[in-house]
Amino acid sequence: MANMAVSRIKREFKEVMRSEEIVQCSIKIELINDSWTELRGEIAGPPDTPYEGGKFVLEIKVPETYPFNPPKVRFMTRIWHPNISSVTGAICLDILKDNWAAAMTLRTVLLSLQALLAAAEPDDPQDAVVAYQFKDKHDLFLLTARHWTNAYAGGPHTFPDCDSKIQRLKDMGIDEHDARAVLSKENWNLEKATECLFS
Amino acid sequence: MDSDIEMELDSDNDGEFDDDYDYYNTGEDCDVERLNPKLADPEYFEYDCLTVEDIEKLLNELVEKLNTFLQITPSLAKVLLLEHQWDSNAVMEKYRQDANALLVTARIKPPTTTTTGTATTTEGATTSAAAAAQLVRLGSSGYKTASSSSSTNSSSQQSQHRRLCPVCASTQPSDRFYSLACGHSFCKDCWTIYFETQIFQGISIQIGCMAQNCNVRVPEDLVLTLVTRPVMRDKYQQFAFKDYVKSHPELRFCPGPNCQIIVQSAEISAKRAICKACHTGFCFKCGMDYHAPTDCQIIKKWLTKCADDSETANYISAHTKDCPKCHICIEKNGGCNHMQCFNCKHDFCWMCLGDWKTHGSEYYECSRYKDNPNIANESVHVQAREALKKYLHYYERWENHSKSLKLEQQTIDRLRQRINSKVMNGSGTWIDWQYLFNAAGLLAKCRYTLQYTYPYAYYMEAGSRKNLFEYQQAQLEAEIENLSWKIERAETTDLGDLENQMDIAEKRRTTLLKDFFPVDNKA
Repeated sequence: MANMAVSRIKREFKEVMRSEEIVQCSIKIELINDSWTELRGEIAGPPDTPYEGGKFVLEIKVPETYPFNPPKVRFMTRIWHPNISSVTGAICLDILKDNWAAAMTLRTVLLSLQALLAAAEPDDPQDAVVAYQFKDKHDLFLLTARHWTNAYAGGPHTFPDCDSKIQRLKDMGIDEHDARAVLSKENWNLEKATECLFS
Repeated sequence: MDSDIEMELDSDNDGEFDDDYDYYNTGEDCDVERLNPKLADPEYFEYDCLTVEDIEKLLNELVEKLNTFLQITPSLAKVLLLEHQWDSNAVMEKYRQDANALLVTARIKPPTTTTTGTATTTEGATTSAAAAAQLVRLGSSGYKTASSSSSTNSSSQQSQHRRLCPVCASTQPSDRFYSLACGHSFCKDCWTIYFETQIFQGISIQIGCMAQNCNVRVPEDLVLTLVTRPVMRDKYQQFAFKDYVKSHPELRFCPGPNCQIIVQSAEISAKRAICKACHTGFCFKCGMDYHAPTDCQIIKKWLTKCADDSETANYISAHTKDCPKCHICIEKNGGCNHMQCFNCKHDFCWMCLGDWKTHGSEYYECSRYKDNPNIANESVHVQAREALKKYLHYYERWENHSKSLKLEQQTIDRLRQRINSKVMNGSGTWIDWQYLFNAAGLLAKCRYTLQYTYPYAYYMEAGSRKNLFEYQQAQLEAEIENLSWKIERAETTDLGDLENQMDIAEKRRTTLLKDFFPVDNKA
């Protein structure tokens, strides 16, 4: 690993640790190994969004050419968001691609991701299914996103109706995560979800 | 003051002109001949095939002209010219109007927040004067970060010696820092590695400042000052050169494989340029194969249409019908009109798609259909069938001529064989038969044009103009077939006849092009 990348990451690590966001517990960063190439980030769901109260874990991989190329970031916590894949956690965000600037830091990346959670861009989607729901059935989108936050990120809102529908599919031998994904995709229509799973 | 400089430049140009002034080709009497080729030949096209060195010289001249006028570095002049399609007059005009806006749109300088859109003319004048001053400063002082300009006087004493680079996070002597007009300052090593990473990704003149949300462009001279590895410098210069040529409206890279020639023409139209080095012929406007009389957009549409398989769907629509009851797709592969759907066992009539029960014993002819042939025509299938028929009509002819052209070499070989045997048999000498090769060449040329008339006709709207076009097309096709027939069967004595036929075919071709080839400067 290039010297510059290491020294930069070390400094950015300190920057995040010293930042006021860490005092508010809104962002966090930790090392995975000694080589400084892999990090784990964590961001809190922003207030007044369906992600409020959740903690979202991020996988951060620092390339050899950092900071001249952007870090590779992915959501490890499952999340229901138009710009984040509900399957892989891949993120569609300009600063992680073409608009990366060498002067940006891990702190700015984490804060940008937090901002992305607060302001989705459904017209430039990573997950087309979620984006469609976001635009067409916004109430259902909010419910689904809140439910996912509860199920995966420790959010406070529970949805007994969703849970019972998932349980029904689980009773048929479907994996819980698959059941949740299919029900979310089919706007929580149990009949359609069953049809989708068994046809 | 400005106009003085311009006049000087003008007189300079005149002086150059005088040097290679052609004393023989002047005067009124030559005008007719000079105008003639354009009028007589709709494909007439003036262009030059230039080498990379020629182009570099040409671009450098433009850069120098702007240099002397604006008093700026060549790199900044290049950026300005690039942004204005190498039109130095446009740059100067914009410079006079609003120098500040010119620099901001060319991404030489960050947008200033202090100047508002509602600035009065005097304010506008002062800002542009300031911008002009800054331009001069940018040109002269280089990119070393001056400590006085980036920090206040009180702190300059401390920062004079060491500063922190925000990219590599190390403190370094402040004389190792460089910045652009935006003032974002980074250390020399960071800039260098950054440039190399960008060049590695194929980015050259579009490299921007490293700061967040800053789009100020890095000019050529800073890159070349800092990047010292010869491989990277070469790469940068190659990429930059490509971008310069691409941004110049009068220049085109020859599309021939590994060809280094650049074609230049003052007339930017869809005409054929032939590279003098690799002999590739191409449309000067779009760089694709030459396609007269069809224009660039239509040929692109046509080629995309031919390449994708959306016509398969059309085929299915045209050759199949849906069962009127269960709507499954059925292809009739023989037999009478009494159909029984294999899926739902519904009996129906293939012609009118009505229930078979009402038909009785008319197995081979449907009287309902005979009374009203439109009865089944309202369906989308019939419309799709019509569309497919139309497309296939044009496509078959297009493809046919394209195949004939691909076999051109074979035709010539056959011709050569035939001539050989004729010469052996004592009918004429080799020389006597040479005219056949000219004829074959002309045949190929005519076929080429004919091939490209089909996409044109396909996209033409029905009407008198299309009728005229198709009439001329048919005439051309007929003469081409005649010519082809005559070439195959020519004897030494047929020279006159064949030349006559060649002349007719070529006339038909030019007439069609004259009437329909979209030339910009056509009256």
